[in-house]
Amino acid sequence: MGLEDDLKLAESLLEKITISTSRPEENRVDIVIEAASIKTAAKILLRDGNWGYLSAITAMDSPEYSIDETTKEKKLIPGCGNVEVLYHFCRGAAVATVRVSLPYADPSIDTICDILSSATLYEREAAELLGVVFRGTPNTDRLILPESWPDGVYPLRKAFTSLKDIQTPEEGVCS
Amino acid sequence: MTSPMSPEKFIVPIGPQHPALKEPGHFEFTVNGEIVTNASARLGFVHRGMEKGAENRTWVQDLYLMERVCGICSHVHAMAFAIGVEQLAKVQAPPRAQAIRVLIAELERIHSHLLWLGVAAHEGGFDTLFMYSWRDRETVMDLLETISGNRVNYSANVIGGVKIDINDAQKDALHKGMDFLEERTRHYYKVVTEDETFLGRTRNVGKMTFEQAEFLGAIGPTGRASGLQRDVRVDSPYAGYPQFPVKVVTATAGDLEARFVVRIEELYESYRLVREIIDNIPAGELAARVPRRIPEGETISRVEAPRGELLYFLKSNGSDKPERVKVRTPSLCNWASVLVTAVGHKLADMPMILAGIDPCFSCNDRVVTVTDHSNSNQMSWEALRQYGIEFYK
Repeated sequence: MGLEDDLKLAESLLEKITISTSRPEENRVDIVIEAASIKTAAKILLRDGNWGYLSAITAMDSPEYSIDETTKEKKLIPGCGNVEVLYHFCRGAAVATVRVSLPYADPSIDTICDILSSATLYEREAAELLGVVFRGTPNTDRLILPESWPDGVYPLRKAFTSLKDIQTPEEGVCS
Repeated sequence: MTSPMSPEKFIVPIGPQHPALKEPGHFEFTVNGEIVTNASARLGFVHRGMEKGAENRTWVQDLYLMERVCGICSHVHAMAFAIGVEQLAKVQAPPRAQAIRVLIAELERIHSHLLWLGVAAHEGGFDTLFMYSWRDRETVMDLLETISGNRVNYSANVIGGVKIDINDAQKDALHKGMDFLEERTRHYYKVVTEDETFLGRTRNVGKMTFEQAEFLGAIGPTGRASGLQRDVRVDSPYAGYPQFPVKVVTATAGDLEARFVVRIEELYESYRLVREIIDNIPAGELAARVPRRIPEGETISRVEAPRGELLYFLKSNGSDKPERVKVRTPSLCNWASVLVTAVGHKLADMPMILAGIDPCFSCNDRVVTVTDHSNSNQMSWEALRQYGIEFYK
């Protein structure tokens, strides 16, 4: 099967739970779904559809900024934003990225470890570094950060600059 | 010690210092007598904060940072990053640059596989093989030094191409080096497949079936030794691989012996490819121009590192610095396979099984550098940079 067929197959397999799809590059399809359907998506791609393998999970901070009218300076609005979780599935040259967006207020999503046990390391990395909560994940021990690292501090969030700078965030007004 | 009847568990902690390998990792093996019944890992001891660090540096500075994710497969990291940035900027590196990228990548694979051969032999108590294979590895290290000026961190890539070229004298040296190494590798193949004592340590040890390999997400030579046909160089050819294709090497046994066989056969394939590239290298420019600011967008760059598929996810916000750089290194995928295949084997086999995936700790451990106590000796980035400039004046 060719690249285009693989991408089309991924699109059609996930059609029922898709919010939107896009083709950012020739060999890639991005499929946005609701956080609640991640287990279904993983099951369809890995088990029922046998569409390739899970190559990585990328978690990415996407905070809200306010822009100063005069100086054009971008400033983080504390406590406002989303964490995006991207599940990259690969089949040959084709990459299907299943995307979910989780608000800071409730950054939780179901684990997919019951479908693919090796996802545990990816989930633990995303949990430690960006504070994604994987419901039902088998192991929540520290994987990367030191034991003395404070709870609730996620270094890959944009708001994190240094442990010295940590203070209780003032409430911002989210859009 | 615990008897089979008692409910207590006996746990043998290994590491973080020197867990069979010369890199830090902590393992806990639950044993019943000599037999391992459960295994767990704690990584992160060489975590350096590179993904966060990358967000605060420019695309060009990040190229140098990413080259330092791993000390063994440094070139593939820089290459994966450079290819990703070129995809974002919609720039194509010239054909000669693509060929040189593949050339260095294959030389790096040769050095990495020979290094592994030595380490794995050492873990099996076969120090003669360790010393001979490392002596021969010097051949490829010298070749890399002749070409790039460096033994590690070759710094061959720039965004848009490469900055080193190959001349005729170097081509001759490469031919001679490949001939010598090929002959030596044939000898090593014989040793690891025929030496009775060594086979006792590798045959049917750490066996992983095709189904397990697929389910656990094993990749690279570890997966291929279980029959998994997965190689990014073939599945999704990048850089010069469309012009200089490789053959996927697989085995079916899935044990430690098969992992030796696969890596050694990959060495033959690399020797062949290096010769083919130096004989047929396209003429032309070494690099294309790339703007300092990279257009907004996201991209994924996948390459086949010596240990398996390496994935870079890059997001640009349109400035001269990346918004997010995510690195998923091959060792991370292969850990799951070790922890599962370890069960049921003797504790004495653990060093070999650990070494069998060719683990690379610094690859796994990237993010955050900040220390949680104030240290007066801590240097700022600017101070460190200044120190470097003064030091090398």
